[in-house]
Amino acid sequence: MAIPDLHAFLRTFFTLHNCPIVRDESGLLSIQLTEEMDKALMNRPFYWHYMEKIGQTGTPMQLTLITNPEKRDEKGEWIHFGSPRLHQILNHLKEREKFIHLFEKVDVNTQTPLYPWLLANVKVSYIGRQKKDMLYSVGLQLINGSMRFSMMDYLDNIPLQKTIPDYCYTISPIIRLKSGFGRIEKVIYEQIAKEQHGWAVESLRTLKEEEEMIRHFYKDEEEQERMNKELEALRERYQPVIEIKIVNGGLIYLTK
Amino acid sequence: MDTIHVQKDEDFIEQLISAIDKNGYLSTWELFKMAYEAEKVTMTPNFSGLKALDFLPHIHFLDHQIRAAEQVIEQMNGRAILADEVGLGKTIEAGLILKEYMIRGLVQKVLILVPASLVNQWVRELNEKFYIPAVSQQKNYNWDYPVIVTSIDTAKRMPHREKILEKEYDFLLIDEAHKIKNHKTKNFEFVRSIRKKYCLLLTATPVQNQLVEIFNLISILKPGLLGNYQTFLEKFGMDRKKMKEDDYLKQLIQKVMIRNTRDETDLKPSKRHIHAIWVDFSEKEREIYQDIESLAKIFPTFVKLTLLREICSSREACYLSLKKLADEQGNSSPVLPIMEKLEQLPHHSKAEKAVELIKSIGEEKVIIFTEYRASQLYLQWFLKQHGITSVPFRGGFKRGKKDWMRQLFEHHAQVLIATEAGGEGINLQFCNHLINYDLPWNPMRLEQRIGRIHRYGQENDVHIYNFAIRHTIEEHILQLLYEKINLFEKVIGNLDAILAELNIQNVEKEIETIYAESESFGEAKIKLDNLSSVIQHTWEQYGKEEKYGHS
Repeated sequence: MAIPDLHAFLRTFFTLHNCPIVRDESGLLSIQLTEEMDKALMNRPFYWHYMEKIGQTGTPMQLTLITNPEKRDEKGEWIHFGSPRLHQILNHLKEREKFIHLFEKVDVNTQTPLYPWLLANVKVSYIGRQKKDMLYSVGLQLINGSMRFSMMDYLDNIPLQKTIPDYCYTISPIIRLKSGFGRIEKVIYEQIAKEQHGWAVESLRTLKEEEEMIRHFYKDEEEQERMNKELEALRERYQPVIEIKIVNGGLIYLTK
Repeated sequence: MDTIHVQKDEDFIEQLISAIDKNGYLSTWELFKMAYEAEKVTMTPNFSGLKALDFLPHIHFLDHQIRAAEQVIEQMNGRAILADEVGLGKTIEAGLILKEYMIRGLVQKVLILVPASLVNQWVRELNEKFYIPAVSQQKNYNWDYPVIVTSIDTAKRMPHREKILEKEYDFLLIDEAHKIKNHKTKNFEFVRSIRKKYCLLLTATPVQNQLVEIFNLISILKPGLLGNYQTFLEKFGMDRKKMKEDDYLKQLIQKVMIRNTRDETDLKPSKRHIHAIWVDFSEKEREIYQDIESLAKIFPTFVKLTLLREICSSREACYLSLKKLADEQGNSSPVLPIMEKLEQLPHHSKAEKAVELIKSIGEEKVIIFTEYRASQLYLQWFLKQHGITSVPFRGGFKRGKKDWMRQLFEHHAQVLIATEAGGEGINLQFCNHLINYDLPWNPMRLEQRIGRIHRYGQENDVHIYNFAIRHTIEEHILQLLYEKINLFEKVIGNLDAILAELNIQNVEKEIETIYAESESFGEAKIKLDNLSSVIQHTWEQYGKEEKYGHS
């Protein structure tokens, strides 16, 4: 799966990071970086280190990205799904944008309550002989405990902001964040249990087969150590693991 | 489910609470959404299939390369011998496999062991083609980079050895793996001791001589697959032919080995055009050639042969050898008059022919191979006199200098004059004209020469010009040896294995012996002809045996 509109994605990314867009035409995007973005993307720590040492303000660079391969010959950097630059940007997002604390934007003139929701975007990785990832977006209402899947899609239609709107007040959670998170985890476990786990069975079978092969191969006593190393490498490769990672999440107050 | 380990994310909720309570960094909705999007596009939603293909839209993969990568990952679980014939892109397959594992997050630490002459090329290809941030490890002591390319010779030496052996690599790759096939060598021991999860061995010749070689290679990948050493020897012995005859063994080997042959792939190799360029000696040159021939009685055959070969190449090459002889023998040496004659020669007929040919080729790049450094220097000078730019290349150049010369050749000079193919040295696919200014007597070296330009990635037809001077020893070698065994037409293959099978260690020596033991050139010609017939016959046999391995 690729990013449907890479050009727009990049434009939004840099605009949100307060970088002026210098040139924006079809397939070509020039950006004046801020100091922060320069440090994050341009791989020149020594330059910034040096500037700080001599007490000067450095000059952030301009970056020209080519989003249409047909314009590859123009001056600039061809950016596409495989290019390191894009992954730098994606990783920057993944590492930084982990937590939110937001409120539904409502225009009211009477006292309106806002209900707390815990949002967790969860990546479940099934790792055996091969690997597969699944993504769940779960929301839990922290008053009545109702739960919602595809929470991100649901939130897409609700305007959100960082401050609490006028005339609104928040209701304190009855379910504490920690135990709410426990409930979400439980539901994720249930999802995992519902999955077919042929992949793990297969992986364990391969593990057993190859373990036997290795035991047969190393008959000599003096090679025990090497055999154990090999067995360890096997388990490393085949022992089925399910990894649960929270991509990002947060606390959101909604009108219902 | 009980046997599956589950790893939870323990930190998230604590971090969230502290971010909210203590005014930590909180995202805006837009950026938060983008991060979710980033995760969505980089995750791998299926166990099978190659996600790496989306990441590498600029590489045109061939069907057999994609198949090979899928097979290694899905059926062989990341441990395999890639044994495609030379020129089908083993490196590309390996790069694709590595990329896939890195994208899936299954591989972080990578060690790539290749011949010293190939280190830079691997680093370049991984970075430029696959966007894999590989670095070459040469002298410094830092083994902590995630992706390191180095030579076995560097890696096995102290203090690197210890550092490597104490690490656990997610991915180990060994190029030209046939070099470690002997289990009694230090290299083999060393490689086997490296801790690794996934492992690829690349070689075009998985079995050169003995069946046990494949046993050894597989011991690195999957010890036990073929039983242990003792039972293997008892069951299959040493006979290489067993590999094709024994179905059970064949099946087992197919579990870890992929071998694509040219016939089975959809790769339409660029064509090879062979041109014999006949040159006639000038009268003066012929006189010298005959003078040397008549020296026979005074010098051993090999000295005479060397001189004859040299005069066919350049005045300078021959002159240097004669001078050495003269210095040993003093004033009365019979070579002195020949040297005087050589000094009188205005130029060499072959060099003139070379200039004529290069000019007719036009602007395109040309590689000239010669056996002699004296000829190399002379040619460089001679081409310059005629307004043709050239750079020299020698096997003995340091790695950096080789790369530099390659670049000069690619971007600035028209001609590269090389004395040695440099083994597995540099690739020069951007050039498609090759002049064999003189022919080596070792067909392996000739294969390597041609292999520099006629390989995977060559997009144009390749032209090979073989220079030979009529009515000389060169005529015998070209017509009786090389043209007879069709070496030029054949795509690079298994010549080394064939020679090993025939027990011919050194073709050059073999030819020398033929000349030394023959009463006349006529007799030598017949013997040379016989030698060619035997090689050709074995080669044909070998071709029929080739159909093993997974493909």
